[in-house]
Amino acid sequence: MQLGFLVDLRLCMGCKGCEIACKVENEVPLSTWRLRVKYVDVGTFPETKRTFTPLRCNHCANAPCERICPVSALHYLENGIVNIDKERCIGCAGCVMACPYGAIYIDPQTQTADKCTYCAHRIASAMMPSCVVACPVEANIFGDLDDPTSNISKYIASHQGNVQVRKPEKGTFPHHYYVGGGNVTLNPLASFRGEGHNLFNNLTHLPIGGH
Amino acid sequence: MVHETIAATNAVVTLDVALPGVVWGWIITMNMWAKSIGTGIIFLAFYLLKKHPEQTGFIRFPVVVISIVFIHIFLFFTVIDLHQMFRFWHIFFYPHLTSAITIGAWMATGFVGLLFAMAYFIYLKKDEAMYDKLLGWTTLLAVPVTLYTAGLMAQSTARELWQMPTESAQMILAALLAGSATMLLLGGNKFSDAVKKDLAVVLGLAAAAAFILYMAELVFGPMKAEEVAAVLHYVKGGEYTVMFWIGQVMAFIVPMVLVCLSMKNKSYYLLKIAAVSALIGLWVSKHVWLVIPQLLPMS
Repeated sequence: MQLGFLVDLRLCMGCKGCEIACKVENEVPLSTWRLRVKYVDVGTFPETKRTFTPLRCNHCANAPCERICPVSALHYLENGIVNIDKERCIGCAGCVMACPYGAIYIDPQTQTADKCTYCAHRIASAMMPSCVVACPVEANIFGDLDDPTSNISKYIASHQGNVQVRKPEKGTFPHHYYVGGGNVTLNPLASFRGEGHNLFNNLTHLPIGGH
Repeated sequence: MVHETIAATNAVVTLDVALPGVVWGWIITMNMWAKSIGTGIIFLAFYLLKKHPEQTGFIRFPVVVISIVFIHIFLFFTVIDLHQMFRFWHIFFYPHLTSAITIGAWMATGFVGLLFAMAYFIYLKKDEAMYDKLLGWTTLLAVPVTLYTAGLMAQSTARELWQMPTESAQMILAALLAGSATMLLLGGNKFSDAVKKDLAVVLGLAAAAAFILYMAELVFGPMKAEEVAAVLHYVKGGEYTVMFWIGQVMAFIVPMVLVCLSMKNKSYYLLKIAAVSALIGLWVSKHVWLVIPQLLPMS
């Protein structure tokens, strides 16, 4: 069994329901995220478009975080999930340095590394990851990549030529796919990231108009 | 970071989480700097005791003390950088042998054991033959202890700037630079002119070779990968430009120039200034190279 994820970016509407579901399910502390949706605005007014890209751990077949972890806190489960044992983690942050997707962070409460585990605890109880359940448009598709009859395998088969992974040149072989993605959504260097244009850092007060 | 943006798309990130700060900061710089001195002085001691045994015998005890002190500074900063420092023992009881951190920890432990054995034989037993025998093994083990950080940086797949084999060459050169500088400061005028000349040559050549590597990265690095090009903007007019050049000048250019002048004037004072400059500059240049890849957004 090899579990994998696919996000159809053409369906995602940026509601952030998956983010909230993940936060609640996994008790992710404030200021940290196992899953987040990045907004990138494309074009020049009035010809503009907003794109939404859910970002989470890619559960790579050749995971740099697993390789660099000195104590095997990051390890593979039999179903292909790259899991983390927070009791074993020493907080060296090697995995934070190694992950090419910026998917790992140091949990401020436990002072250990943390990341998306595809809700491994829910999978063990035959439930879907919380983000999949929360998505109102079924943009998140989850399943067994080794099973040709699974939803994810059929989705990949029916969208040949339009299935991408992030940073394939890194040789990590992600088990997280995107349909309908492009350079500006999947390549962090392809979009301008200005100071203060981010709701979660510099911008603390929204102007109130209309009074 | 706007490296690959094009006017036609005018793509702007309008909502994302705040970028994480620098995770490996000055504590890791201290770690690398202290380790360069701790292993470098062993390399130089091995060389001097082989080539000039009559004139350098007095360095045996001070060398092992300096190495023990700086390796423990390295270990101290390694441990305090851990977010769960009291779980450090997990490395020995749950070792993951694909990790350069694990290999480094085991090698460093062996290295420290040999250093204490050397100290025992030279201080308590006055047994120079055994000391010299152990020094051979210690020098051998100093190589992986020096190199493991380069392996760790190379395993950091996300940080394209840190690549093998460049980083391994830089680590060895840093050890030779720091080792020769420390030895020059340690030996003082007790060294003969021939020994001083040898140390000056090692210092000058290590500085020249390291400087060439940095400049090669600066010029040719951007041709390897987009990430490298983006990262190098921080030292090409970006916020770390001044610090980068302070490091380059103090660690490499000043020692090269002063070594040349001291050869001509036979001035030991110039060598001492070169040594101090190299040690300070090495910290600065290591710090810049450590920090800048961490400023790049990964997602």
